Amino acid sequence: MPQAALGVAAGTTGRGRAPGRSGWLLLTPLVAWALAFVVAPALIMLVYSFAQRGTLGGVVYDFTLENYRDVADPVYLGIVIRSLGYAALTTAICLLAGYPVAYAIGRASERSRNLLLMAVMVPFWTSFLIRTYAWVTILNAEGLLNSLLMQLQLVAEPLGLLYTPGAVVLGLVYTFLPFMILPIYTSVEKLDGALIEAALDLGAGPLRAFARVILPLTSPGIAAGVLLVFVPALGIYAVNDILGGGRVDMIGNIIENQFKGNARNWPFGAALGTTLLVGFAAVYAYVNRRQRLAVVR
Amino acid sequence: MTRVSRLFAGWTGLVMLFFYLPIAILVLFSFNESRLNVAWTGFTFEWYAALLRDRVLVRALENSLIVASATTVASVLLGTAGAWLLHRYRYAGGGLLETLIFLPMIVPEVILGVSLLILFVAIGLQLGYATIVISHVTFCAPFVMAAVQARLAGLDPALEEAALDLGATPPEAFRRVTVPYLMPAIVAGALMSFTLSLDELIVTYFTASARTRTLPLEIFGRVKKGLDPSLNAISTVFVVFTVFAVFSAEALRRRNP
Amino acid sequence: MTRFTAFALAALVSLCAAAPPAAAAELNLFAWSEYVPQSVLDGFTRETGIEVNQESYASNEEMLAKLLSGAASYDLIQPSEYIVEALIEEKRLLKLEHARIPKLKNIGKEYWGQAHDPKLEYSVPYMQGTVGIVVNVQKVKEPVTGYADVFQEKHRGRLVILDDPLEIVTWALATQGLGPEQVTKANLEKVRPVLARWLPLVKVYDSDSPKTPLLNGDVDLGIVWSGEAAIVLQEEPKKFRYVLPKEGAHMFIDSLAIPTGAANVAAAYAFIDYVLRPEVSRKISEDFPYTNPNVEARKLLTPAERANEASYPAGKPRLQTFRNIGPVAADVDKLITDLKAQSGS
Repeated sequence: MPQAALGVAAGTTGRGRAPGRSGWLLLTPLVAWALAFVVAPALIMLVYSFAQRGTLGGVVYDFTLENYRDVADPVYLGIVIRSLGYAALTTAICLLAGYPVAYAIGRASERSRNLLLMAVMVPFWTSFLIRTYAWVTILNAEGLLNSLLMQLQLVAEPLGLLYTPGAVVLGLVYTFLPFMILPIYTSVEKLDGALIEAALDLGAGPLRAFARVILPLTSPGIAAGVLLVFVPALGIYAVNDILGGGRVDMIGNIIENQFKGNARNWPFGAALGTTLLVGFAAVYAYVNRRQRLAVVR
Repeated sequence: MTRVSRLFAGWTGLVMLFFYLPIAILVLFSFNESRLNVAWTGFTFEWYAALLRDRVLVRALENSLIVASATTVASVLLGTAGAWLLHRYRYAGGGLLETLIFLPMIVPEVILGVSLLILFVAIGLQLGYATIVISHVTFCAPFVMAAVQARLAGLDPALEEAALDLGATPPEAFRRVTVPYLMPAIVAGALMSFTLSLDELIVTYFTASARTRTLPLEIFGRVKKGLDPSLNAISTVFVVFTVFAVFSAEALRRRNP
Repeated sequence: MTRFTAFALAALVSLCAAAPPAAAAELNLFAWSEYVPQSVLDGFTRETGIEVNQESYASNEEMLAKLLSGAASYDLIQPSEYIVEALIEEKRLLKLEHARIPKLKNIGKEYWGQAHDPKLEYSVPYMQGTVGIVVNVQKVKEPVTGYADVFQEKHRGRLVILDDPLEIVTWALATQGLGPEQVTKANLEKVRPVLARWLPLVKVYDSDSPKTPLLNGDVDLGIVWSGEAAIVLQEEPKKFRYVLPKEGAHMFIDSLAIPTGAANVAAAYAFIDYVLRPEVSRKISEDFPYTNPNVEARKLLTPAERANEASYPAGKPRLQTFRNIGPVAADVDKLITDLKAQSGS
């Protein structure tokens, strides 16, 4: 099944047969949902992006292109690039750190599997704010980590760990790691032990067995994990706000400011949001198409 | 391979430590004497006692549970159906539908919140549980769909065909062959969905009413006043309760397979 | 008309007149998240039987977003002074009949004659505060009197300031002798170099909980809300002091106001009058140590509360309220975003 293994992960459409009446009937709720709660709100935002700023917030329906002109401003471009950078770095670290965990859980006994998954998720059922402030408690100048280091006499003065880009990356990885582990787990879980054993029996070292057998078979999970970390990471605003001391503004913060901050510039926020949306849709559609073409070939 | 497995298991242990370090602090500080969550001053149970008096906070937790559960159920149904249907059939515009379902993941929460609010007002839907759940499902369903899609990528179509050959009807084949196969992905998706909904803040602000305030809204509202340890207490209580519930469910399941 | 019909009509009319109010009365309150203690709401409900449905927000703009959407009708909101001004201009507030608020006289004289609502025709002050400087006197030995003293090179990386572009800009304007009513595009360009020098010195921007880095020791100085400062002073009275900048400080007045279209106006008036009672107002101060505009309530405060210099600053500081600056707000936001990005990481 090498084609399946190539992982048509972020899009498995187009592999099936023609839908009959029942196929379309079953799809109707989904289509209705997408139209009502994805397309309609997106259209609202699109309309807003061409409107003008209202005094108290909201919009005044006077057509203008100035919001999109503002989007192209170098100030915001720099922040977009920074957001992309942090999201990419977070995804990479989550992948490297999360894969072994997903593998260990997926290969664990059936008894332990679900409990291990729960163990991964449970910390994230506590309030995000309290969790993040717990990190503040750990990392701050008089906090646990610094106290420990000073006690052990490893440092003379407290390390400035908090309110730095490093703290932001730490917080991001902390937030998103489970969303890398879980999708990869779903691919690992169905790995046939016999395949791996066969590879090893045939003389492959563990590294080769991994690269040639395990990795391709789990690539759908990896692709899903990358999607579920990178995309939401682009929109973050809270983790970087708290752990970065409000100095590491991301695109999420800028957009938030337009609606919840002094600016009260909804049309500009809408324009930024629409740009992100279109960007994502374009990239996703492109990747999807390439995957589909690859399988057909 | 066992050496590698042991390495991976060891690494998993470290990652778990990483996950639980702030949680340990969180739980520890729920017994902290100081009202501010800043430094340890002494041991006390008063914040747990305060929870019993804090109707607002407890109601917020109830609301969060109701919303998260409903969201998870709806997201699992929507996400699994979406993944499976798009996998099984080649629809005209299937790629578009798929992109549309994933779109809410990229839309910044504040925009999602505002636009859904405008939509609800336009169609005359009153703010309450329904509107919160709808808004949560829009960005939770994609997570389920992605997890199930990843699993489907390796599904051998021969399995389902074999079932049909052996006399099963399509719904039976789906129920007895496909769903069990998809179960790990469904569980993973449900876990992600539940987690996301539980901690959702901005979208909920725009789509909730006074009576349906969720826990994150309540907790974030108290930042200025100072995150007093009763918030740690309620987080701890909730986690302990949920873990206990799940363990009991698992134990029961094992007894009656 | 037959006698029977006339009788029936009369009976119907009298029945309607005598009928009790339709449903249990309620009040839809939309307030700042930290401002209205639950005990005050419970007391109000116990006395009047009116259920209070409270929603809260963390910024004026959040409040406006939900208010303007029309999703819910609110009976009471708590805008800051410059938002009150904007709402009055947009005719969004109900004009208040002072006869229905007998305890309005408890509000101090200094709150009348303010630019946003001189005759308190649309708003009733709820809490007042200032934005001032908190100094860790154990770390910073020399006297700090104003913005210029705060933003010095030697304090690089030891500052926390509010994450509020409008605030930051007015501080810079104040050092140039300009007031908050002079936020214009031209003046923004004038203070750009000042801000470009200031912002790289900041370690933390935080409007929600600036007390955290101060109490943690991550920073030594901060420009924060007086309520936050008061909490810091309560926690560590020997370690911190609160100073109002000599160049001019922001005095914000958060007021109760009734939006047009409110459904339960009577309940709103009842609530306003209720919180103006000295013993009720005093409870609010207990929980949130801002400056209480109710002079009768101030008399009920404990000496320790009265002595907190963040809540009740001594002397005659230069205080200014903010004005509605209209579309320039977007330029303010962009300026700070730009400078933050340049100075940041």
